[in-house]
Amino acid sequence: MTVAPILAVDALVHEAATRAFGDLAQRWFSHDLGREGMLAAVEQLGFTDALPSPDGRDAWPTAAAIIRAQGRSAAPIDMALLLATGDRAGSISQPPGAYACAANADAPDSPATLAALSLGRCLQIDAAMEAALELSLQYVQDRKQFGQALAKFQAIQHSLALAAEEVAACSAISDLALACAAREGILGARMSALLDAAAVVVGRGVDVVYDVCHQVHGAIGFTQEYALHRHSLDVLRWRDHLQLLRGGELRCAERLGDAALEAGSVWRTVTSVMKLGDSHD
Amino acid sequence: MRFHFPIFQCPPQAEALRAEVRAFVAEELAAGLWQRGGDFASHYDAAFSQRIGARGWLGMTWPRRYGGHERSMLERLVVTEELLAASAPVAAHWIADRQSGPLLLRYGSEAQRGEFLPRVARGELFFSIGMSEPDSGSDLASVRTRAVKIAGGWLITGRKVWTTFAHLNHFAIVLARTGEGGESRHGGLSQFIVDLKAPDVKVRPIVNMAGQSEFNEVILDTTFVADDRLVGEPGNGWQQVTSELAFERSGPERYLSSIRLVESALACARERPTPRVREALGRMTAKLIALRTMSIAVAAQLQNGETPNLEAALIKDLGNAFEREQIAVFRALGAELPRRSDEYLLALAEATISSPSWTLRGGTREVLRGIVARGLGLR
Repeated sequence: MTVAPILAVDALVHEAATRAFGDLAQRWFSHDLGREGMLAAVEQLGFTDALPSPDGRDAWPTAAAIIRAQGRSAAPIDMALLLATGDRAGSISQPPGAYACAANADAPDSPATLAALSLGRCLQIDAAMEAALELSLQYVQDRKQFGQALAKFQAIQHSLALAAEEVAACSAISDLALACAAREGILGARMSALLDAAAVVVGRGVDVVYDVCHQVHGAIGFTQEYALHRHSLDVLRWRDHLQLLRGGELRCAERLGDAALEAGSVWRTVTSVMKLGDSHD
Repeated sequence: MRFHFPIFQCPPQAEALRAEVRAFVAEELAAGLWQRGGDFASHYDAAFSQRIGARGWLGMTWPRRYGGHERSMLERLVVTEELLAASAPVAAHWIADRQSGPLLLRYGSEAQRGEFLPRVARGELFFSIGMSEPDSGSDLASVRTRAVKIAGGWLITGRKVWTTFAHLNHFAIVLARTGEGGESRHGGLSQFIVDLKAPDVKVRPIVNMAGQSEFNEVILDTTFVADDRLVGEPGNGWQQVTSELAFERSGPERYLSSIRLVESALACARERPTPRVREALGRMTAKLIALRTMSIAVAAQLQNGETPNLEAALIKDLGNAFEREQIAVFRALGAELPRRSDEYLLALAEATISSPSWTLRGGTREVLRGIVARGLGLR
């Protein structure tokens, strides 16, 4: 007797979106495409129609595949914002190649939009961390020092293993939140606890991945000419915004702690938050 | 994506089982049959193992004809995680149920399955692991214990160490060299079922730094083991040993070793929780959700007949780091926990002194990261 995963990844959407955003990013970085042009292309591809309504569930896996593909590509069009809020101008307003700690950005008033945007940010961050990790894995194979590829040094291997473990943990918890949205709806009872948990895990995971990916790259990773900075800046910006949306990592943790205190047990809180309702509740 | 952990849910029958296990634990505690404490490798109570065997909670996934219960890996996960979360005395049956049984099911002879599995499932027969030696820890392929073929059986000579509960358990599955290893050194290894009560098997305690003697040295000196105690094919030992790894490394015992510390801290803080305590408990909750999501994925993959060794190594490394982090976090909280109960102080001391073993047993942190690195194409 086999068991089936509850979150089906639509391979066709995943492939199409990955290819499309890869192309868009390439055209953008070779100055072949402007920001309005990018928005128009994304609209033409039908990607802007993918946002699930607050009580819609079935559309979430498709929306997630699109958000992840954009997050991985570093194409400067914010698909999480666009899909969660419909804000077309906002989705292309971020100056690429720049980073400043986000000020007190407004969190959306609507709980559904807030949750959708939080989930979108988690997915984007995971995807951008994956891209940074992939670049790092390639770089350490190519770069030679002391007569051998960096990949041959055990210290490098272990650092990258640790980064990959964090990426896996972040993706797992974001996927769980995504599965919850797809099953219970974005306003489901467990959604905000899962998003708080994801914000805590992803918040810390970024520290490790940002550190390791830059460390193994050496100085070239710290330049504008090499691609790593695109993913790093995306990760940092999106994490800032995720934290602002949820009031900061500490508050996320406190709310989860309160749930555990209320239940009288951390373990029971974990099992109950992870037991998702039926998709046809 | 390099490592993917698909999202699975425990099915309704597994969740029903969770309620049963919780009720059972509550009854046992109310009856004073045991105290919460220790972990899967230290809290030993053979009578408890028999009681849960009688409930059908051992050998859960095995065929009925071998005394099993033909339930799914996810149902087994629910039982094991609930017993661990309760810090119940699971150590007697742990190895037999987790890996010796599945090993015999996969590679053992029909006679071995019939002889051993029903007794394991009843909680009457316990196994130890006979892998490590004084000169072979992480580098398992370097084992020197030798088995020499004679008429009707084998003569085994060598020393095994860190053999947990060899003084109480009935059998150990001993990895020994029976032939040349070849360049990889992975050839020529075989596994044997060794009777720990036999007169020519010496079991000596090794006292750990906590003053307890849970593990032992097992000395085999031309010890005779009959042909029918060879597990699987001679020379196939390496493949057999590595097939146990996904069972060994991905389970909830790799991130729940210090759960009693977390729960007892919560109990101390419940009346007047400070923001720092709330934060600490919340961080633990978040990390546990991530680890458990991954662990459920591996259980489901095992159910589906896959061998997610790489994913299991990854979970163990993250899980052990998390167990260690808990100790540092709660120790630092100090007076933020208003009334530190005896239960909490005991759990803190126990976790602190046991913690070095967590990142060693079942694969060191360094070995695990090497496995993950290989999965990343770096080795």
